[in-house]
Amino acid sequence: MPEVSKLKKPDVKLVLLGDMNVGKTSLLHRYTERKFKDTVSTVGGAFFLKQWGPYNISIWDTAGREQFHGLGSMYCRGAAAIILTYDVTNWQSLVELEERFLSLTDTANHDCIYAVVGNKADLTDLTAQLPQTSDLGDQTKSEESQVLSACPTPPASPVSISGVLLRKQVTHDDAVALYGRILRYKCLDEKSTLPAEKMCFETSAKTGYNVDSLFETLFDLLLPSILRKRNENQESPTVDLEDCRTSGGKRGKASCC
Amino acid sequence: MCYQCCDWFKQHRPHLVEKRDSNGLNMEGAVDSDTSSITTEEPQTEAKPSSDQVTNTETDSISNTEDAATDNSQSDSGEFVVTMLAKAKLEEQGLGVKGRSSPLLEAGTQDMPAYMSHREEDVTAESWRQHRKHVFVLSEAGKPIYSRYGSEEALSSTMGVMMALVSFVQTSDNIIRSVYSDEHTVVFLQKGPLVLVCVSCTRQSEQQLRGELMYVYYQIISMLTQASISRIFEHKKNYDLRRLLAGSEKILDGLLNLVDSDPSFLLGAVHCLPLAASLRDSLSQILQKAITSNLVFSILIAKNQLLTIVQEKTVIEDARLEPADVHLLLNLIGASSAFQAGEIWTPICLPLFNPDCYFYAYISYLDPPECTVCLLLLSTDKEAFYAVAECKRKIEEAMTAQNSLSLIDKAQSYSVSQVGVSDLRHFMYKPFDVPDNYRQLSQFTSPEMEAPYSSEEEKTRLLDLYRYMHSRIHSTSRPLKLIYHVAEKETMLAWVTSKFELYTCFSPLVTKACAITAITKLLRWIKKEEDRLFIRYPPKYSTTPNPSKSSRSSKSDQQDSTDNGFLSLL
Ligand SMILES: Nc1nc2c(ncn2[C@@H]2O[C@H](COP(=O)(O)OP(=O)(O)OP(=O)(O)O)[C@@H](O)[C@H]2O)c(=O)[nH]1
Ligand SMILES: [Mg+2]
Repeated sequence: MPEVSKLKKPDVKLVLLGDMNVGKTSLLHRYTERKFKDTVSTVGGAFFLKQWGPYNISIWDTAGREQFHGLGSMYCRGAAAIILTYDVTNWQSLVELEERFLSLTDTANHDCIYAVVGNKADLTDLTAQLPQTSDLGDQTKSEESQVLSACPTPPASPVSISGVLLRKQVTHDDAVALYGRILRYKCLDEKSTLPAEKMCFETSAKTGYNVDSLFETLFDLLLPSILRKRNENQESPTVDLEDCRTSGGKRGKASCC
Repeated sequence: MCYQCCDWFKQHRPHLVEKRDSNGLNMEGAVDSDTSSITTEEPQTEAKPSSDQVTNTETDSISNTEDAATDNSQSDSGEFVVTMLAKAKLEEQGLGVKGRSSPLLEAGTQDMPAYMSHREEDVTAESWRQHRKHVFVLSEAGKPIYSRYGSEEALSSTMGVMMALVSFVQTSDNIIRSVYSDEHTVVFLQKGPLVLVCVSCTRQSEQQLRGELMYVYYQIISMLTQASISRIFEHKKNYDLRRLLAGSEKILDGLLNLVDSDPSFLLGAVHCLPLAASLRDSLSQILQKAITSNLVFSILIAKNQLLTIVQEKTVIEDARLEPADVHLLLNLIGASSAFQAGEIWTPICLPLFNPDCYFYAYISYLDPPECTVCLLLLSTDKEAFYAVAECKRKIEEAMTAQNSLSLIDKAQSYSVSQVGVSDLRHFMYKPFDVPDNYRQLSQFTSPEMEAPYSSEEEKTRLLDLYRYMHSRIHSTSRPLKLIYHVAEKETMLAWVTSKFELYTCFSPLVTKACAITAITKLLRWIKKEEDRLFIRYPPKYSTTPNPSKSSRSSKSDQQDSTDNGFLSLL
């Protein structure tokens, strides 16, 4: 039924930002395909339409390479949520978020939600080496988790999975501090916006640790935006982007969740 | 050893200094048996197409028998070149090494565990040195930018030596072009602030190797644009360009693998998938109808070959799409399996179309999860993603309605047996007389490589023979129009006229008379099949009411797109 596919208008937009090699593509792949596989460094940006319940969420997986810097603001235009991704084993990747990527978010919606995500936690934390059982009832297990459950070694000695743990270069506190600076950059009031504890994640695309939780949390938080946008679309068949942005209250969001 | 050093600006005839290696090494030892059999080549005298014929009296162009103009003032730098190369350990092997595997085999890849990427190779190992063809890119300041094998860091001293070479020769207002040793040809190409070097132990001509370096240069331009590369190095002479190319190594690696395995690059022509003319036309019409403003090219690809290209009218009046630009696009798609998921939107520069501007490419596969049919839409408008994505939906719908995907799926390359000429094993035919030619992409047609050319080694050997024939045909000093060449395992015939360029490969027992008859039959067969073998009348559409909006003609509009924003990060 081609007619139906034509009507699949995205409800909201989510953008993955972060330096090259931090694992943006891997995170998205883990979430949508439940797998961790070899990736190729992303060229430009890749657009996906993700069905979430009755809603359509458009996701931009952007390239972290400097070569594509200029496109960032285009991908972020009108975004409702932005995932700022770094690599927990690489301090510079956190620095880049502030120096290179934060300014790209200027074109996002005024009520855009920000998440700060430290990926590759499996390299530094024992707990992240175990896949988190998804609370969504999604029983599809990844290859890694099958290997894991087949492995007789108790969780206490996960060294056998990835060998030696690496030194963690970015702590959770560093990420929380960055989140605070992002709010200040956006001139948002810390009290009325989402708390850092809720919006700073440590994940592993490799084991799946915290990945579902990251995306599901964001989608839940986006629900008010989705519903509002659907409403607006019903009221006026022509969508005015400017209108969308100004009517999106910062306050309404926090109280909704 | 001899080296060749040429004044770039005069460029009349390369000065060639010949210096015999002290131990007077006989080349035979290093040459594999098949290439050495090239010397059995004989002048072709009684061929039927004799009007175009040039008699070839030369016996062997591989050894250093070309006329040499001795230039004493340069011989010092010749010594220098040789010692510097020796220091850089590029040349160490060879003279005394026995039992070296055929240069046609990629020795390095055999020894190397499959999981190890070329970038992690030990650059001091023998296997590293034995690669068939090394390619290095460095900046004028001698900073490493790219190396095909081994990491740039590990090779930085080698690259430093190369740069020393380049600048040493430059000080005397010359430009270093190539260095020859018994086993290696080293070719240099300077393009703006970039220096490209190829170290090859294939028997390819310098001209061909330089052509390949051009492709590497163009691929870099396609990612960064010429204008921004110049600006970067004006701004900062010792800028580390790897910052901007990081992550693109796979694209360059992929390009070099294609250059080695796909004759499209050698011929400077594109290969399209044979398709019934009616199907190709209907696909073109689908593309022609799904347009939006600022869309300039719509390209449909299946199995890495072209199905059709539809072009914007005003843009194509301006300039035609060059085969090399298409090759770069195909390589970009092939090298990034990531494209198989989602819809890609990325800036890309077509260096031959305009080296200073970006297009925006929409790339999406139409047949997931198989991912063999790929749609590529090029726009001049950075913001046009959603409009262009809508074109894809229209194309998808129309293709579903016409059941195009399953028809495309049946399309395949053809077997030489379909030509019905015994003794003919393989051929490559590049016509010059396609209708509407001056605005049309150069194309060529060629059957599958079948037995006895099924193994990788044999395929490479056949391609090497073609390269050899090609180099003779296109030799700058003594171009030939017709070559009949009896090799050990096959007989090759190459023929170029004002209407076509043809390379054929016959079984070794074929007689000259037979070969000529076979070619007449082959040409007749191609004529009969040409509507299926080539894109005959590339359709056009009009999306741009204001022609000055095309990427080529209005630079002022597009100024912001020349650097893609990364210059602000310097
Ligand atoms: N150990 C570990 N490796 C990971 C993880 N996520 C990604 N990687 C690896 O990190 C590398 C980069 O991953 P990508 O997902 O391609 O990174 P990216 O952020 O999309 O990079 P760009 O597309 O270049 O911006 C790959 O080799 C992945 O296998 C993770 O959670 N743990
Ligand atoms: Mg990526």
